[in-house]
Amino acid sequence: MCASSVIPGTTLGATRRIRPISGAATGQLARQRPAQPVALTEAEAIRLAQAGNAAAFEFLYQLHGRRVYALCLRMVGNPADAEDLMQEAFLQLFRKIGTFRGESAFSTWLHRMTVNVVLMRLRKKSLPTDSLEETLEPDAENSAPKRDVGAPDLRLTGAVDRVNLERCIEKLPPGYRTVFVLHDVQGYEHNEIADIMGCSVGNSKSQLHKARTRLRELLQEELRQQAREERKAAKSPTGSLD
Amino acid sequence: MHCKELESVLEAEGLGQLSKDARLHLATCGSCQGLLADFNSITEAAKSLPAEVNPPDRIWISLRAQLEAEGLIKEPVEVSEKASWWESFAAAWKLRAFAAVTAAALVVAAAVYVKRVPLNGGSDTAKKQTPVESSRTSQTQLAAVPPVTAVPANTAPTKESVPPKTKELAPSPSESASFTLNQAELDVPNMQLAGNSQVDTALRQNLRTLNAFIAECELRLKQNPQDELAREYLYTAYQQKSDLLAAMMESGRGDN
Repeated sequence: MCASSVIPGTTLGATRRIRPISGAATGQLARQRPAQPVALTEAEAIRLAQAGNAAAFEFLYQLHGRRVYALCLRMVGNPADAEDLMQEAFLQLFRKIGTFRGESAFSTWLHRMTVNVVLMRLRKKSLPTDSLEETLEPDAENSAPKRDVGAPDLRLTGAVDRVNLERCIEKLPPGYRTVFVLHDVQGYEHNEIADIMGCSVGNSKSQLHKARTRLRELLQEELRQQAREERKAAKSPTGSLD
Repeated sequence: MHCKELESVLEAEGLGQLSKDARLHLATCGSCQGLLADFNSITEAAKSLPAEVNPPDRIWISLRAQLEAEGLIKEPVEVSEKASWWESFAAAWKLRAFAAVTAAALVVAAAVYVKRVPLNGGSDTAKKQTPVESSRTSQTQLAAVPPVTAVPANTAPTKESVPPKTKELAPSPSESASFTLNQAELDVPNMQLAGNSQVDTALRQNLRTLNAFIAECELRLKQNPQDELAREYLYTAYQQKSDLLAAMMESGRGDN
């Protein structure tokens, strides 16, 4: 029996938790919720974790760890840094779990912490060429990616694969990268992203559009580079032109 | 509409349903068609990227060690993944949340109890019996009741468990509530509860679930008559069953 088949208006809904609950994460994730057969609900685990229960900590870690790790990995591009950041994010979470009041979804709170940890680390490691300012503030005209209207475009249809895309995501400025990963990869809605990043919904949409525009440029450049290399390989002295 | 305006629309509204003006522009502008097609390719490719990645085990090991070192872990209690749903429900349910519902259930049970006049006033010894014992001893009064489809087997009357001197006692409130509800449930098997067979199935499944829960509560009380939590759950479950039966009868009609 699915919980949604409970008759509206009856109080049977109060007893539906007698069944083991799968996918106990709350929040409004658009897709790919973690599905685990568990005896605890997230709310119970939070309460127990606030009391120092080790198993509750582990439960919350197992429930959210995969998404947090995926986010860290896409933000920094290498597993070693991603592991450090994930551990740091969860450490902060568990240190502050006593202050969680349920005003936002727990996953949103955790992701907010994760994004802050990641952006802080990127700020510390920033190179002069990286534009960390392309984060939450409205971009100046000269820093936003531009589209040459009327210029011939290299169509990406059928040419975007995961490897190319991941490579290009790593090249995005941190702010664009964060919004793109949260929205297009992890499926968060703009209102959730705004909550995570502490910005407006309009800002989130704007950052996403700019991220996609920049990715398009990067991917087109990747395709051109691949085409050049293929042509070079075909013309090489050792190759034949049959 | 110009290309820059279309871009503003895409920025503000995303790639979903576009306005009529936007679609008109797209129909005639190859460059914007390319832009939209590329954005769609990017988002489709992004969806194929895993939203979750398994972290190495060492992260949790290291994290846990750090939590212990900082004194954030206070008790290494294991929570079994196979803990019964009863334990989950018991851990989650707060007494305060039960108060209003339990009060209503007790009123229902008390009202039924009051209507059934004690046969000879009862004795002091009988009054000190636990609800479970008194429900056992009053089983003989219910022996004439025809067996009910949904009554759990462990509450079936057992004549050999009835001490003779307590046969005259009135049923406990919980027994009375159970009897009343079981009587109401007698009509359910013959009813078409709703116009939609899926809803009908769901209603019956809900009733089976609730009956199973009631059986569990009754068993708990039988094993430990002092289990106040089980008693409160039971009364709440009776109330919920009452509500469910009322909803079922309102939404359906009898076949006979």
